[in-house]
Amino acid sequence: MRFRCGALALWLALAGAVGAQPALPPAERQLNIDSFEEVWKTVRDKHWDPKLNGVDWQAAHDDLLPKIEKAATMDDARDVMSEMLDRLHQTHFAIVPGEAYKELGSNAGAEKDSASEGAPGIDLRILDGHAIVTLVVPASPAATKGVKPGWEILKIDGKDLAPGIAKVREAMGKSLTGELLQTSSLKERLEGPIDKTVEVEFLDGKAHKVKLKLGRAGPRGAETVLGRLPPLHFWVEAHKVQQDVGYVQFNMFFEPDAVNAAVQKMVTECAGCRGFVIDLRGNPGGIGGMAMGLAGWFTSKPGLVLGAMHLRTATIKFAVYPHAEPFSGPLAILVDGCSASTSEIFAGGMQDLKRARIFGTHSAGAALPSLFEKLPNGDGFQYAIADYISTGGQPLEGVGVTPDEEVKLTRHQLLEGQDPVLDAAVSWIHKQKD
Amino acid sequence: MNCSHVAKKFAIGAALVLSLTLARAADDLPKAETILDKYVDATGGKAAYMKHHTEITKGTMDIAALGVKGTVTTYSAEPNKSYTEFDLPGLGKTTKGTDGTVYWMQSAMVGAHIEEGAEKAQSMRARMNAEVAWRELFKEVKTVGMDTVEGKECYKVEMTPTEGAPITQYYDKRSSLILKMTMTTQSALGEQTADSFYSDYRKEDDVVMPHKIKTNIAGQDIVFTVDSVTFNPEIPADKFALPSEIKALANKK
Repeated sequence: MRFRCGALALWLALAGAVGAQPALPPAERQLNIDSFEEVWKTVRDKHWDPKLNGVDWQAAHDDLLPKIEKAATMDDARDVMSEMLDRLHQTHFAIVPGEAYKELGSNAGAEKDSASEGAPGIDLRILDGHAIVTLVVPASPAATKGVKPGWEILKIDGKDLAPGIAKVREAMGKSLTGELLQTSSLKERLEGPIDKTVEVEFLDGKAHKVKLKLGRAGPRGAETVLGRLPPLHFWVEAHKVQQDVGYVQFNMFFEPDAVNAAVQKMVTECAGCRGFVIDLRGNPGGIGGMAMGLAGWFTSKPGLVLGAMHLRTATIKFAVYPHAEPFSGPLAILVDGCSASTSEIFAGGMQDLKRARIFGTHSAGAALPSLFEKLPNGDGFQYAIADYISTGGQPLEGVGVTPDEEVKLTRHQLLEGQDPVLDAAVSWIHKQKD
Repeated sequence: MNCSHVAKKFAIGAALVLSLTLARAADDLPKAETILDKYVDATGGKAAYMKHHTEITKGTMDIAALGVKGTVTTYSAEPNKSYTEFDLPGLGKTTKGTDGTVYWMQSAMVGAHIEEGAEKAQSMRARMNAEVAWRELFKEVKTVGMDTVEGKECYKVEMTPTEGAPITQYYDKRSSLILKMTMTTQSALGEQTADSFYSDYRKEDDVVMPHKIKTNIAGQDIVFTVDSVTFNPEIPADKFALPSEIKALANKK
């Protein structure tokens, strides 16, 4: 038998959305109870720490079993399971509603009914307690209506955002994941059926209130499917900045062939460049192993390790295999509060190895390798299977990556069409010796 | 004295009896050399293996924890050339091979590298017709006991390669077929213990081989299933040529 498997280190990171449901018949209630039991047993048996972070897991089960037995709707059942998972106080434990899976089935490449969902084409961040547009996708419904980076989003479908932002800010305190969760939540509120509009009230560059009905277009990029994850949309872009700096950005660590091809092309075209930028702002992670492949394009030194994943029964090192013709000039990596998981593994490891300088704001600190399983009730269950320690000896979970040079976005700079984080990185590159 | 106490006593007693039985049996265990030769005979005999000079094996690879299932195709040629493609939807293509001299692995996800040391030695042992060449590949083999695999009594044979950690193979006492192998994979990713279970033995052109291998590594199960085996096909020589990236890495060395 000559089939052999090269060691695979794979893990995934994603979070999901929720919807409302009517009261359930007894058979479906039982499926929720079965799902609750499966979630509980999976954590008990597969969490990397047999002591479960010091949580009395049996008590969690016994406290919440009566609640799941009484759960009358799918939302209620998901809330109970989420409450149980919240007791771990760790990221990458989540219940993903079955609706999000859109008929994931026999054939991974089969057509999914994702054409009916879309977004206006806006990216945003919470800056000093305000929801600010940071990017408008060219030719998107938002671009067509004249929305500009730097505009503040005041209301979505008539609902004032300020009280919610303040409330979440207070509740999350100094938690690093707050920005990631809040930004995702606001973006989800802009998303919806393509045949319906979303009403958004903005504060424009002249501090005038502008109310716009924005259409929705399909998500940017091509649909990608991996295992039990809901279908996702992936894009990658690569170009030169100021003629002499290579730049690569992709929205998540998926489609290894596409990311590798884009980086390879830019490294080849950029052999004489002054430096290189990998922009991971807003990148929530994905396939962990891709951090190794990406790192291999930026070092010629053999034997380097980005960090190690510690499972209950094994430890997997994130080794870097240098490419034959890597880019050896200055490397800048851009991160923000929405850079998570594999983004943090890559940025943190390259920072620890002193191979890159990190620009932007503190990353999300959500870096636990995880898997997805389908529950008896049809929902997805994401659970962390390992801890990850960066090569400098620090865990990334709850700690994240601290930029070497902190650069915050401001509404004013965005209105001026500036990207101060990228500007700082390019400026640093230009100051480095040839 | 409660029931669990009694059960515990019984369990301890049973364990003592079992270990005494095994100790007595160990004196009568066949030599590892005999077990390994019997395996070759049971799977078709040396002559059946040696009439095959090239081979193409096609099948699937299923990583249940991820819900990912893809294809695996291996091309092999005597004495030690091979090229394997793992194509997993969403994870991209991984290739692995050797031109008989340089052993390598490449994927978009992890990158490309030339295997060295124990990792290379491990790949060298997976050469074509390795089953009949165990005397060349292992410096020491010994029968270390008996064990049960899937309810079948097995001889446990420890095999120490010329380089790398020993592996343990479990040979069915009745059929002489391998039912399990335990090994430590060694690479830059670290050392991982892998347990592989072999089943669905069927004959392919006079050689009996497993068509299902379930491997547990790092807590996850990976199932390989063989769909087809073709012996002595024409394989173009360039199939085993080093990819350009690997050639460039080899030249740098």
